[in-house]
Amino acid sequence: MNANSSVFGVYAMSTLHSNCFSDAAGLQMEQLIGDLGRMYRERNEALEEVASAHHEALFRLSLAADLKDDDTGVHIIRIGYLSEALALVLGQSPAMARMLRKAAPMHDIGKIGIPDAVLKKPGAFSSLERATMNQHSEMGAEILGRSRIPLFQLAAELALAHHERWDGGGYPAGLQADAIPLTGRIVAVVDFFDALTMDRCYRRAFADDVALQMLAEQRGSAFDPHIVDVFLANAQTFIRLRDDINRTRPTFNQLVDNG
Amino acid sequence: MKKILIVDDHADIRRLIRMTLEFEAYNVFEAEDGEGALAVAMQEQPDLVLLDVMMPGSVNGLQVCGTLKSLPKPPRILLLTARGRSEDLEAGLQAGADAYMVKPFSPLKLMETIDQQWEV
Repeated sequence: MNANSSVFGVYAMSTLHSNCFSDAAGLQMEQLIGDLGRMYRERNEALEEVASAHHEALFRLSLAADLKDDDTGVHIIRIGYLSEALALVLGQSPAMARMLRKAAPMHDIGKIGIPDAVLKKPGAFSSLERATMNQHSEMGAEILGRSRIPLFQLAAELALAHHERWDGGGYPAGLQADAIPLTGRIVAVVDFFDALTMDRCYRRAFADDVALQMLAEQRGSAFDPHIVDVFLANAQTFIRLRDDINRTRPTFNQLVDNG
Repeated sequence: MKKILIVDDHADIRRLIRMTLEFEAYNVFEAEDGEGALAVAMQEQPDLVLLDVMMPGSVNGLQVCGTLKSLPKPPRILLLTARGRSEDLEAGLQAGADAYMVKPFSPLKLMETIDQQWEV
């Protein structure tokens, strides 16, 4: 704190002595600001602790939801890192991309409320089953959106938007093109590719090149064409990142680290 | 650590702002007039300058703002203006200022406003 005192001395020694507080008032003012500073830091620390505990609880719940149809639970971790990487390549700020990494793993938390008979059903859904399944977006947003903390607001936005389609044929709102939040469009692409390239209880994983081809086919229909182009152009980077994640299995603490 | 330069002719105001900035880990510098501000800015390359518009001396706040914003790597500039001096504010934004606070300002609002500057 005193490291700057020389600078202070050089540039501020010749202080005008008119319009200054009296010494006593100045000292009292310092006490006040000192206390304010302490409360400020204590508040921020307390807020961080609460947010972190809340985040971990919701992450665990997301993991529970994910484990219903992925026996490893790494899918949601991959969604976090891949969304961050895609956001960065799309020119989003590092802070925004980092927040996406932390929020995106929770986008499917609403699946916790979907009966296994529907969630794990092989083959086509009846219209009733389809309607049931589609509720997971709004359920997720409802679970996540009760917090005022920006991270969970973003997670709620993702939960709500990740099944919207570029052509307007998605759910729950049927939003079209730019009306879908960019974050939701990013996670939708990542989620599609990652879901295709993992084993599911009702099918084996698709090969990477097949999955990329399937993604390309959805360019401009399900997904934002620009995001698809950027994903395809950088596919090898994302695939390497995915393989790294599968090998190293980052923990929750690593996922939420600010580095 | 981010560097912040406080430019204000009022020593007590600088002291209060410095103490507020020390809520966070910032490296804080001070200058009491326009010329001093330019000298410190050239030497220290601050990330952000808190700049009082109305100062005595040959270089006023707006000129400092214009000069700093013409540098290759300009700092973020947050103007400090007196209440009721909206013409200062307008001229400041014309001169490239990024944000402003009207005196007297809330210390917490100051910290939030500075924080927002890092996200741009």
